[in-house]
Amino acid sequence: MMADRRRINGPPGGTRPAVFASNLQSGTSATDRAQRQRQPSELRKIFLKTGLIPTASGSSYLEFEPSASLAAARANPKSLIPPSSALKLACTVHGPKPLPRSAAFSPNLVLTTHVKYAPFAARQRKGHIRDSSERDLGVHLETALRGAIIAERWPKSGLDITITILEAEDDRWWGSAPDSHDASWGMMNVLAGCITAASAAIADAHIDCLDLVAGGVAAIVSDEPSGTSTGVPKLMLDTDPAEHRSILSACVVAYMPARDEITELWLKGDSSKASLEDGDTRTGHEALIDGAVDAARGAHTVLAEAVRESLLRTVGQA
Amino acid sequence: MATSIPPVAIPGQRLGSISTYSAGPGTHVQQSNIYASIAGPVVVDPAQPKTQTKSTLRVSRILPGTSPAAPSPASAAPTNQKPRYNTLPAVDSIVLARVTRVQKRQATVSILVVLDETSYSTTDPSKLASDNDNVASILTTAANPENHSSTDELRFQALIRKEDVRAVEKDRVVMDEMFRVGDIVRGSVLSLGDQSFYYLTTARNDLGVVMARSEAGNMMFPVSWKEMRDPVTGAGEQRKVARPY
Repeated sequence: MMADRRRINGPPGGTRPAVFASNLQSGTSATDRAQRQRQPSELRKIFLKTGLIPTASGSSYLEFEPSASLAAARANPKSLIPPSSALKLACTVHGPKPLPRSAAFSPNLVLTTHVKYAPFAARQRKGHIRDSSERDLGVHLETALRGAIIAERWPKSGLDITITILEAEDDRWWGSAPDSHDASWGMMNVLAGCITAASAAIADAHIDCLDLVAGGVAAIVSDEPSGTSTGVPKLMLDTDPAEHRSILSACVVAYMPARDEITELWLKGDSSKASLEDGDTRTGHEALIDGAVDAARGAHTVLAEAVRESLLRTVGQA
Repeated sequence: MATSIPPVAIPGQRLGSISTYSAGPGTHVQQSNIYASIAGPVVVDPAQPKTQTKSTLRVSRILPGTSPAAPSPASAAPTNQKPRYNTLPAVDSIVLARVTRVQKRQATVSILVVLDETSYSTTDPSKLASDNDNVASILTTAANPENHSSTDELRFQALIRKEDVRAVEKDRVVMDEMFRVGDIVRGSVLSLGDQSFYYLTTARNDLGVVMARSEAGNMMFPVSWKEMRDPVTGAGEQRKVARPY
């Protein structure tokens, strides 16, 4: 990684108190583990509000409801470390503005997306320079939005979308030891949140788009210890990685309900082992995609309500 | 059928069928249905008897003063702040621009505001006056030399070529006698131009310099189509002046 020589960087490493193995064994047990309290198809509540940043042409703020275990841990603290984290992010849209002098002629809107974690957003401190995962999120977000924006209505202009992640999702429960099913599962929830928030900010900036595009996540998880026979992997919507023992595969979609179109699809992991209901002939990854679309439909209702609310607020003010 | 049109729309909301309405700005057509593509109040423009047979559905970018149901121009009081949302310059739109550079063959301007075509084309003089009131604050801040900062990078740049300055005696145009740096010019967009510049024309009576400062730094008033005068020193300066209303 490139060293950042222009800023005073914080100390590398964690942003939360250190966890010692001895402490972990005596102080916390498996019962302190965050547990999913929701139904498999129940989504977390979403807070979404647009137009909070007056200097931007469009903006939005999104927050996911924290896990029920977080509230329990706050009421009865056993450890300094919060058991799970919930997504919080802010999105700004600047433009349409003229392209830089060096850019070539473009008959369409040129979309640029930047996703940046705040240094304190994740358990591992992030640098000021965007790292590869942040660039990766930016590319995924751009693909998701490009299919929704009517770019030919804005010739010769550029649109900058900047997302600051204030609190990111964990990739696994903080107390778990790393295992073979580890991947950046939290990043997939972050992407879904980014898509929904960016869509609200674009609507707030009055940029023409085909539909409000919403992000949704579904995952195939196995919650039982791997030795037991009851631990059959199940499909769950809107998974919080901290609430599950191991996630086998996950899927993010960016979905436009009015047209029934998917603009972005990201699958990760092995989806072949999912146990579906009897008579369900779908393959694991079909079920996964359908689940993610269902989650996106749920997020879309919040998104549509937030956009309508901000519209009625401005109409009422004017 | 008209009762089923919602007062406000959000992107992706179905507004009506293409068989009863035609699609206007802020909407798009998908499988012979009209959908909103921006959030805003829905406006139904009645059919013109000669040219169109269907009324036009559009989603307005301009939020009305009172309620979405009554967007009548009479209710637009001068004190009313109408938020204007980023309209791009298009061919034939009227823009106000500040001169940033005058060369032998062309003048470079940066576009400050794209005037609303619907309000500009109306012949009601009181409506025009209120529109001028709305942009007055933009003009006064833009004409102030203290505000000539690097914000030009964020504005659309345009060129007025020598042959587009006026309609007559095009070959006798001397650019120094038409525009000075800092003038506010009303122009019409000729074309989207190349990668970096739009092309403007001022070759009409109502187009040209609308606000200018003299060499002494005072705001000047127009005395003819090619001269403006300083009220303090009385000195005249040459400009391509727009016809005052």
